[in-house]
Amino acid sequence: MSELSVVGTRRPKVDAVAKVTGRARYTDDLRAPRMLAAKLLRSSRTHARIVRLDVSHALALPGVHAVLTGADLPIAYGILPVSQDEHALALEKVRYAGEPVAAVAADDEETAERALALVEVEYEDLPAVMSIEQALAVGAAAVHEERPTNVHRAAALEFGDVDGGFEAADHVREDIFFVHGNTHVPLEEHATLAEWDGSKLTMHTSTQVPHYLQRALERVLELPTSRIRVIVPALGGGFGGKCDPFSHELTAAKLAIVTGRPVKIALTREEVFYAHRGRHPVLMRVRSGFARDGRITAMEFRCLLDGGAYGSYGAASMLYTGALQTTTYAIPAYRFEGLRAYTTKPPCGPKRGHGTPQPRFALECHLDKVAEELGLDPIELRRRNLVEPFSWTVNHLRITSCALEECIDRVVEASGFEEKRGRLPHGRGVGFAVSAYMSGAGLPIYANELPQSEVQIKVDRGGGVTVYSMATDIGQGSDSVLAYLTAEVLGLEPADVAVVSADTDLTPIDLGSYSSRVTFMAGNAAVEAAERMRALVLGAVAEQLGLPLDRLVLRGGRALDPGDPESGVPWVEAIRIAAASRGPLVTAGSYRPPDLAGPYKGAGVGPSPAYSFSAAVVEVDCDPETGEVRVEKVWVAHDVGRALNPLLVEGQIEGSVYMALGEALLENHAFRDGVHLGPSLLDYKTPTALDMPEVVSIVVESDDPEGPFGAKEVGQGVLLPVIPAVANAVHDALGVRVDEVPITADKVIRALRQGRVGPKRLPDFPFRDAVRVDPPAQWRAAP
Amino acid sequence: MKPPPFDYHAPATLDEAVRLRTELGPEASILAGGQSLIPLLNLRFARPSALIDLRRVRELVYVRAGQDGVAVGAMTSQRELERSVDAARLCPLLREAQRCVAHPVIRNRGTVGGTIAHADPAAELPAALRVLAGHVTVRGPRGERRIDADELFQFHFTTSLEPDEILTEVFFPALRPDAGSAYLELSRRHGDYPLAGAAAIAAGDHVRLCFAALGPTPVLVESDDPADWDAAIEPAGDIHASAGYRRELAAVLGGRALALARERATGGAA
Repeated sequence: MSELSVVGTRRPKVDAVAKVTGRARYTDDLRAPRMLAAKLLRSSRTHARIVRLDVSHALALPGVHAVLTGADLPIAYGILPVSQDEHALALEKVRYAGEPVAAVAADDEETAERALALVEVEYEDLPAVMSIEQALAVGAAAVHEERPTNVHRAAALEFGDVDGGFEAADHVREDIFFVHGNTHVPLEEHATLAEWDGSKLTMHTSTQVPHYLQRALERVLELPTSRIRVIVPALGGGFGGKCDPFSHELTAAKLAIVTGRPVKIALTREEVFYAHRGRHPVLMRVRSGFARDGRITAMEFRCLLDGGAYGSYGAASMLYTGALQTTTYAIPAYRFEGLRAYTTKPPCGPKRGHGTPQPRFALECHLDKVAEELGLDPIELRRRNLVEPFSWTVNHLRITSCALEECIDRVVEASGFEEKRGRLPHGRGVGFAVSAYMSGAGLPIYANELPQSEVQIKVDRGGGVTVYSMATDIGQGSDSVLAYLTAEVLGLEPADVAVVSADTDLTPIDLGSYSSRVTFMAGNAAVEAAERMRALVLGAVAEQLGLPLDRLVLRGGRALDPGDPESGVPWVEAIRIAAASRGPLVTAGSYRPPDLAGPYKGAGVGPSPAYSFSAAVVEVDCDPETGEVRVEKVWVAHDVGRALNPLLVEGQIEGSVYMALGEALLENHAFRDGVHLGPSLLDYKTPTALDMPEVVSIVVESDDPEGPFGAKEVGQGVLLPVIPAVANAVHDALGVRVDEVPITADKVIRALRQGRVGPKRLPDFPFRDAVRVDPPAQWRAAP
Repeated sequence: MKPPPFDYHAPATLDEAVRLRTELGPEASILAGGQSLIPLLNLRFARPSALIDLRRVRELVYVRAGQDGVAVGAMTSQRELERSVDAARLCPLLREAQRCVAHPVIRNRGTVGGTIAHADPAAELPAALRVLAGHVTVRGPRGERRIDADELFQFHFTTSLEPDEILTEVFFPALRPDAGSAYLELSRRHGDYPLAGAAAIAAGDHVRLCFAALGPTPVLVESDDPADWDAAIEPAGDIHASAGYRRELAAVLGGRALALARERATGGAA
């Protein structure tokens, strides 16, 4: 790989200048002729039956063009086929304060807002269900009445001989943890502009998943997808918060059809808190058996998720809470019991790390406690249990490239962890944790055997290259990555490559920007398309010039024999030769991950064509009198396979650390009397730039055999180890445990009095006997 | 969508502003630096019929240092007061407290009179004014009058100004030469509202403390006994901290601020 000219070089994103100069056009920047503005009336009640809904006065207001209620959009939808439980506007009852009840399209937002005040809603209140405990209590109000209980999904799985593993253990420990929910806070609030020309719907919208939105629109509006076009303009951050089809999108589309005029809905910051789909609050119990030498003999993980009012990705979130524990440690026997409950709060969904930061917090704090009990160094305990590269886990996950051990070595060395742990003055401490994350979900959201990413490449007569892909650049740099990969293969500069992305009419399928899948999947498709273009062009050039094909390469804007730099022709000439003999210069590539799902229900969650690995050390300075925790410095080593652009990789690492620190210390999706307590950036405390400590990013490259140029994910995995590393550092600093996130100052003070702050028990739930699954044939216990 | 509709007036003189204040009645609001009012408008928590913007009233922009203390025009930016060498010399507490107020961009726009008149009990300058035993000058249709800090702060966001009066000057008495002072606070984020703040002055056996964010007004206590502090404060619990935790902070921050003030009084660093 020594001859790479683009891959591995530091360069700004292709859209960086447009974004920092304000030239990039986001959805809310768009205007259409005769455009109407629409607003959603949101429920003021937490849980209530809609007894009467009268929109006649709103409709009569001059300037109002249409008013919709639930009855106008009666078809249920949801991102997952197993959870079609949402309606664009509430039907019959509301399940959280802030749920959309009616929509008004008017000449402008002022008029629409005045009309909302004229909608008459009579509610009959029902008991609010605001926590896991309340949801599971006997006699709890039913959030969804057609269901016998508030249990949305539950699963119990057992891999290997768990009871035997515990019997063989010299030491067994059990711990209980809680992670409060939090939300994404993208800078851009969701917005959508719908246009209807009489037969075709065009949506410009801030979504991470244009393809899935197109499917939801098809279902709810009963329009064929051939007559639905979804385009994603510049997008100002998603982090998982724009991965669902949303009420405002379906409603704007319907209003555009009803009025025959373009309709825009732009959510306010407050409304984004109700749209939510953020981190699930999760109550967890982890129990592990250990041999005297620190080897894990068995592990049991039970978790209860507070899902909010609707399904969203919850069925997957719940399984993710149990799936990836085995990807860092060779756990020989593993039992997972998980449950997601409905509550009367904004729906939870996927946030950076989807389902896995909560169990990772629990697991990494648990291991530190075990190490302390066994008298082992916490890093040594982990080293004795590390997963091996190119192995299988007991729950049927295929591990390929894995530089976790190198990540540990490098982060420990850079931070001086061993010299600092237990040796800093009282109040100061260091903490450590590791994690792994998927480079794309192995399975699509709806079952199919089609490619998950396709890319087309077209070369024009002037030599310009255009890459077409539905991959959605949410700020992570996917347009840039596609340009880098294509330029690398074709021997060009990224500036020579235009990327057309995220438009369902123009671009071939990509399932969306979620599960850290785009670099791996769209990237592989782009490499394949580019390699086909290279073969096409070089074949024609070899023929024309009478040169042997196997001697020719594309490099530095020429087709040439690398042994003879003067040979060959410039790129523009090469493509003229190719077009003359081969016709249109158009190629395509695709990617579909290998079939990796194990033989059990729920096995679709967890498999990935490759996993990234991370290790983190956090140093804190705690004030033992006020409980204030200040993070002084963070070191992260991340196995990204290969850094296609180290600058972007470091950006993702720093962004993940930032988000993790907010979750670890500050953020909380809090409610009182069923109402969100701080739906604004004033009350919802996300860190400022001045709260960021220094971050040392260490990029580790394991060169994945299946990733594009060896690359794996970096968008999410880094967040995971930072949160438990903070908790472990607080313990090193003060000798007490806060087994609950966020770790706020008042909890630290309480822990200093009590030794520990955190949940003491899980509410009882009669899980079914676990489904026993044999470990995969390739699995073997560590020698 | 931004603020609800309102009429807008930008008088050039204090006289004109006072006349408008009377004419437009209590439904109108005074706009100073806008660092609190504009967010309240945008969140639609405030719906005034009219705004009287004082930014053109240049006669209210000054920092006048005298032997007794510092007189600050109500429309002086907080940043200007923070950077005033005279103010820092006469009342070192001011610069220390100002630096806890949000960020420089906010202090560039935020005014000294605005933060005092807004009377947010979590704000820093009201606590500083009260611990220093300062006063304000207000002007209304009946003329000018002086209100002592002890009388000024009535409740959350409530002062003893009449609805037709405008705050024109804030006076911070100079710290006695034998006294030391300190301001400390704890906030969840850099520059955020404090969970609790403590201003302290120590001169010999005499001490004055004033707590921010621990009651409906800045809470003044003339005692070095934490039990007295605890009896005086009325902290409320919210999503950011419990009332109990805020009580603990009062003891810790009060103790630290007082120790620092005493250290400075006896010749430690200013």
